[in-house]
Amino acid sequence: MGRVITVTSGKGGVGKTTTTANLGTALAMRGARVAVVDADIGLRNLDVVMGLENRIVYDLVDVVEGRARLRQALIKDKRLPELCLLPAAQTRDKDAVNAQQMIDLTNQLRAEFDYVLIDSPAGIEAGFRNAIAGADEVIIVTTPEVSAVRDADRIVGLVEAAEKGPASLVINRIKPRLVSRGEMLSVEDVLELLAISLLGIVPEDETIVIATNRGEAAVYDPSSLAGRAYINIAQRLAGEDVPVMAIPDQQGMLDRLLGLFGRRRT
Amino acid sequence: MSFLNGLFGRKRDSSAELAKQRLLTVLIDDRYKLTPEMMAQMKADLAEVLKRYLPAIDADQIEVTLSRGEAHDLLKADVPLRRATDQSSHR
Ligand SMILES: Nc1ncnc2c1ncn2[C@@H]1O[C@H](COP(=O)(O)OP(=O)(O)OP(=O)(O)O)[C@@H](O)[C@H]1O
Ligand SMILES: [Mg+2]
Repeated sequence: MGRVITVTSGKGGVGKTTTTANLGTALAMRGARVAVVDADIGLRNLDVVMGLENRIVYDLVDVVEGRARLRQALIKDKRLPELCLLPAAQTRDKDAVNAQQMIDLTNQLRAEFDYVLIDSPAGIEAGFRNAIAGADEVIIVTTPEVSAVRDADRIVGLVEAAEKGPASLVINRIKPRLVSRGEMLSVEDVLELLAISLLGIVPEDETIVIATNRGEAAVYDPSSLAGRAYINIAQRLAGEDVPVMAIPDQQGMLDRLLGLFGRRRT
Repeated sequence: MSFLNGLFGRKRDSSAELAKQRLLTVLIDDRYKLTPEMMAQMKADLAEVLKRYLPAIDADQIEVTLSRGEAHDLLKADVPLRRATDQSSHR
């Protein structure tokens, strides 16, 4: 029986879809059977991030409403035969599914895949509740910014209240130079504030933009920092005993030394 | 990295430190609906009660903090007591 893992956040745009696509791909590259599910109904996105937008025939709502069988709606990845996408409906709204339907759907998927990763909509409303309804585990994505961390804390509480906790945390878009200058919350700061366990960290990386443009996951480029970061997270998710990747901080040391002598680099 | 951070320290007025302190207040407020005013009132009430038993308490020096923990959050009150012997020689 596979693990159903929902990737969610409080604030929008912090990297849930990017995280779902990259973790799904990284886990499938390790040989696992993976289904990624776009539960952001009405705002379909995971398909374009993964470059599968041209292959969609049926979507999640078609399956839930019985117009298509699960097998017909699942889209095979271009490169990895063990990776499948269940796309969201684009022309329906969030109320098109309910929590029980999501539980039934995840139970079907769990029987056929090792990992079922659910890309959740942001926020604290019905869409989020549906996305976690069938989950065994929850990953909360945040960036190291005040509004994202604040909203993440709300989600931590809601996940606990829904008895899906404790959630684990991915901190995305870290800028090591800003952190070392004391101008961005550090990983330690965010962990102290949210008090949940750290699954992994991802640096701000242009590779994400380029990979998304191409419709390929960043993990296909293991020389990129973000690619390596997501591979590290996939290893940890799979239960490998590896530490959270350290993000190299090339110029931080120099900055700090200059800072010590009272000079500012801009 | 954190070793170096520790070595060089982070300026107390850095924007990250400011963000962290602001978030601490906001998260407590979000979770416990405890506003800064209520916090101040709680400190005053606490001092009043404690003084009944320990006159050496300096009400202005009480520090009440809320911190986050894995299993539960923690309300902590640091209550300095004036020492009868050295209260004039220290500070
Ligand atoms: N580590 C990163 N480095 C650079 N850009 C990033 C990184 N992570 C995400 N992005 C970019 O940020 C934007 C938002 O990411 P994404 O769509 O994954 O967020 P989301 O949480 O799914 O958003 P929504 O709440 O709208 O569903 C995208 O343009 C993405 O390419
Ligand atoms: Mg998204």
